[in-house]
Amino acid sequence: MKVEICSFSGYKIYPSKGKLYVRLDSKVFRFVNGKTESLFLQRKNPRKIAWTQVYRRMHKKGITEEVAKKRSRRTVKHQRGIAGLDLAAIAAKRNQKPEVRAAARAAATTAAKEKKAAKAEKSKAARVGLPKVSKQQAAGKGQAKGGR
Amino acid sequence: MLGLKSTINIIDNSGALIAEVVNVLKAKSVPGVATVGDEVTVVIQKARPIPQNSNINPNSPAAANKIRRGDLRRALIVRTKQPIRRPDGRYVRFDDNAGVLLNAKKELLGTRIGGVVAQELRAKGWGKIVSVAPKVV
Repeated sequence: MKVEICSFSGYKIYPSKGKLYVRLDSKVFRFVNGKTESLFLQRKNPRKIAWTQVYRRMHKKGITEEVAKKRSRRTVKHQRGIAGLDLAAIAAKRNQKPEVRAAARAAATTAAKEKKAAKAEKSKAARVGLPKVSKQQAAGKGQAKGGR
Repeated sequence: MLGLKSTINIIDNSGALIAEVVNVLKAKSVPGVATVGDEVTVVIQKARPIPQNSNINPNSPAAANKIRRGDLRRALIVRTKQPIRRPDGRYVRFDDNAGVLLNAKKELLGTRIGGVVAQELRAKGWGKIVSVAPKVV
């Protein structure tokens, strides 16, 4: 059971009430009673007929209650933990003092520097066996080989 | 409420435009009035002009299907101006009386239907025509 609305007045049409009118351009109009049907066929504009829903909406009649209700709805943002870090970890990270952060940064840089130095030592040790060839010579050899 | 002498619009692409009802094909006890889903015999009053150049061969099957003014054919009513009552108590009214042409085997003569048709056709067993219709109300 579907309750339709009248195409002219906006009233509800319950089953067994009203008429359906199909115009030649396949547009369907529903009328709740003979009054609305007659007015429609006389080509009256529902916007000018004072008792229709269209008119009332246009002239803002009796709408104040609906508007008042719709004010209060603001979403509150909640902090949530993610897969890697739970809420406590995020809070801890955010609340770190700047000195603590600086210290951490310094520690990281020194560690990186040490790593780099160790790497350089390693590669130097490996290259001791081979003769000292400049980069350009190496590149030239490669070109001669790779060319025609 | 279509009976003798009523005119209907033909809304398929068979070539006819207006047809006049000559007989209503229903049981003899029922009054001679046709509504949606009823078959009628019609006389074509107005038809679309047939181009003279194309069908030179008069014996081809295509020529046989051409509708001319004065042809006696069968038709099926698909829309009526008289409101039709639906089982839920609602009434449906169209803006005109319309039908589609049929052949002796109750098949559509045209290939397309242009316009709305009433849902009653499905209930009365004209499912084929309903399936071709662009819109059913």
